[in-house]
Amino acid sequence: MKGRVALHPIETGCRGHSRPYDDVMTSPTDSPGHRFPRAVFARGTEPDARFSLANERTFLAWTRTSLALIAGGVALEALGLDLQPQLRLAASLVLIIVGAVLPLASWVAWAYTERAMREARHLPHPPVGAALAVTLAVAGVLVLLAVLLR
Amino acid sequence: MMAPGPVDVGLQIERTTLSWRRTGLSVAVGSLVAMRLLPELLGGLAWAIPGAVGVVASLWMWWMSRRRHHAFVERAAASGTPRVGGAAPLCAIAVGTTLIGLFGVGLAALVG
Repeated sequence: MKGRVALHPIETGCRGHSRPYDDVMTSPTDSPGHRFPRAVFARGTEPDARFSLANERTFLAWTRTSLALIAGGVALEALGLDLQPQLRLAASLVLIIVGAVLPLASWVAWAYTERAMREARHLPHPPVGAALAVTLAVAGVLVLLAVLLR
Repeated sequence: MMAPGPVDVGLQIERTTLSWRRTGLSVAVGSLVAMRLLPELLGGLAWAIPGAVGVVASLWMWWMSRRRHHAFVERAAASGTPRVGGAAPLCAIAVGTTLIGLFGVGLAALVG
């Protein structure tokens, strides 16, 4: 069939029941505004789904980065390492606080990127990468000082 | 057998599903470590509850990744115009990770 996307039978999952996932999928005839958030999906036209999936993976990668920052910050303090206590706590808090803020920033970045794709605009360059670099540099310096001044 | 179409190029949906699962596994590992260490560190079995909540959240992420995968593939096969689902689960993950971070701030302040 012309225009039809052909998938490998394994990929289709061979599910016998009809449309069991309507709550998470959207029909091409649905109003674009039905999907959350409306501020994104009510605008523009549907981009190539592969690009939207890549945007979703980027968001998830930032989420894992946040989790790593939080875990590192908590471990730094909870393991009771032999470091200068105040500087150790400061490094720990820097890592955890940025780890807590980053998911919200990456959510906003996801929304801006998705909207730019729907409106066929240039993709934005959110500053989350720079924020992460500064955070790691500051935390690294604090840990270094904590080692030197213990 | 039909030839793979554009959606299959680069195995985009598989990569996205695996990304969801990596994220869910990260939450699960952190939660299990928290379940093991927090009661010992802070005293009291009640401190295992945050880890248990995290394990449940990771199971939800696994389940959600599967639903989104099948929804995408099924729509692609049915209509030929695949579209991603809504982003409410992504928003929930962002808020949940921020809550984990706030819990971590409290924990570091308590231990420190």
